[in-house]
Amino acid sequence: MQWLRDMWTKEGPGIPKNAPKKSGLALFADTLAREWWEMVKLNILFILTALFVVTIPAAIVATARVSVTFVEDRNSYLLRDYVEAFIRYFWRATAWGLAFTLAVGVGVFSIATYAATARDNLVLAVPLTIALVATVFIAVVACHLVVLMVMRDLPPPTLLRLATIASVIRPLPALAALAFVAVLWLAHIVFYPVSVFMPATLNFSLGMFAVAFGVHRAAVMVLTLPMATQAHREPHAGDATHI
Amino acid sequence: MASIALKKLNKSYGALTVVHDIDLEIADKEFIILVGPSGCGKSTTLRMIAGLEEISGGELVIGGDLMNDVPSKDRDIAMVFQNYALYPHMTVYKNMAFGLQLRKAPRDFIDSQVQDAAKILDITHLLNRKPKALSGGQRQRVALGRAMVRNPAVFLLDEPLSNLDAKLRGTMRAEITKLHKRLDATFIYVTHDQIEAMTMADRIVVMKDGHIQQVDTPQNLYDRPVNMFVAGFIGAPQMNMMPSVIERRGDGYFALFDGRELPLPAHFDSSRIAPYEGRELIIGVRPENLHELPPADIAPENLAPFSAVVELAEPMGSEVHLNIVAGGRSFIARVSPRFKAAIGDEVKLVIDTTNMQLFDKETERSILY
Repeated sequence: MQWLRDMWTKEGPGIPKNAPKKSGLALFADTLAREWWEMVKLNILFILTALFVVTIPAAIVATARVSVTFVEDRNSYLLRDYVEAFIRYFWRATAWGLAFTLAVGVGVFSIATYAATARDNLVLAVPLTIALVATVFIAVVACHLVVLMVMRDLPPPTLLRLATIASVIRPLPALAALAFVAVLWLAHIVFYPVSVFMPATLNFSLGMFAVAFGVHRAAVMVLTLPMATQAHREPHAGDATHI
Repeated sequence: MASIALKKLNKSYGALTVVHDIDLEIADKEFIILVGPSGCGKSTTLRMIAGLEEISGGELVIGGDLMNDVPSKDRDIAMVFQNYALYPHMTVYKNMAFGLQLRKAPRDFIDSQVQDAAKILDITHLLNRKPKALSGGQRQRVALGRAMVRNPAVFLLDEPLSNLDAKLRGTMRAEITKLHKRLDATFIYVTHDQIEAMTMADRIVVMKDGHIQQVDTPQNLYDRPVNMFVAGFIGAPQMNMMPSVIERRGDGYFALFDGRELPLPAHFDSSRIAPYEGRELIIGVRPENLHELPPADIAPENLAPFSAVVELAEPMGSEVHLNIVAGGRSFIARVSPRFKAAIGDEVKLVIDTTNMQLFDKETERSILY
């Protein structure tokens, strides 16, 4: 049974300190290869906590919190960090979740309505396009907002402002991440029933990891803006202990 | 305070006693090394100090407190193992933090301890990696870091470098020595490698068959070994031993070996040599005291010619280890690489007897100290 012991104890290749850092898809793949088992556990945690439906927004944010530590290559204690984030961000996540669900819902309804009537009246293609772009933009802002929320405690208006700025300066990585999420679910549908275990094992956590990976750089950029650092240092209005 | 006292400490497995009544005082912040061949009881002694082995007899006192029945976790010690003993399913961070987590330390404290230790050991870039991706040297650093975060009074290291290659061992020796100075803690280190012992220790404890042979500084052990075992164990290549008969000539003494006369230095205590006049003693001469030419800085009365036949020449780069035969006995001389000698050649060397050692043939103890 030497091979079994060697699996755990055999000397590895070593990790040079000054090796060139990976970036882009290579870094994504490297992180996935290293953290895949943690992602499976994270996926299961998400499913368990999202079962109650009303807890879905908090579960998404908690998943984002852990995903950000994967992206930043920091140590995380999965269960502890997830539960802490779930509790800490519950109300904020629920509020933002309702807001964005409403916004995206209105957008989807608009798209559906204009799409149905645009075939007969081509002038309606304009509002259709606007609705389409706006809905996608809201989705991108949502992605940035979720990641910014778990990276720094900020007042809601500042958070929304920063998320919007980040979505404007770097929309493509977030769009790529959303496309990746769409592909994951498409693969699940297309290859069903072979892919029946995908949602149970990786779809949610891997999707959130892709979103966190995509928007992280933009989030770091906007968090250096004065409005982000000032808002972070200012005490809460109702909190006299900071004065 | 982390001074340690072993008072008649012994360990037995049934009828077999493996550590015999060890008496040893280790000062606070000292770097002490237990060295000896395999099976001499050095690791068992270390494990008794750690609390991993039950003490059969005697007392173990750490910081003035009797520790015989105190569990390992309460002894304020940290151990580094030969095979690192890292938890393979945990990241480096979690390996290092585990001990403090078990003690329910605050999260911020754990994080700061781990980060500080990682910075000192230069393993910050490894914190989120698992042991299987690490090389041997990196794993050893993690094992050291895991011990460091607890800020123990005593570090116990059980042959931590034996699984590393020679080059890495050299690097890690220096790192551990620097670490000792930085941490200002007591280090008890076990090794079978006398080079590690000589280069790192404040004092060395040479053990054999469960007994302490000698406790002294590295240089004293090298210059003044108390018996043949210590003389042969410390120093590489090991000391040459030759049986000789002691003869008195006028005011001085000579050692006669195979027709060769080796003058005993005048600074030797005559009162210690006199009882052995006409009797056989064992002479010890270190390989570096066999020269191809008479050294200019040695008094001529302490030099003697020594001819022998070359058996083998081992070039080491900066010197050559010449394996020679004289009087039916094998010797090793360290000579310059410019000294050319082929196998079978008779070479005329010069022995410097200034640092010669004399051992009683029966007891094998030095008669000089």
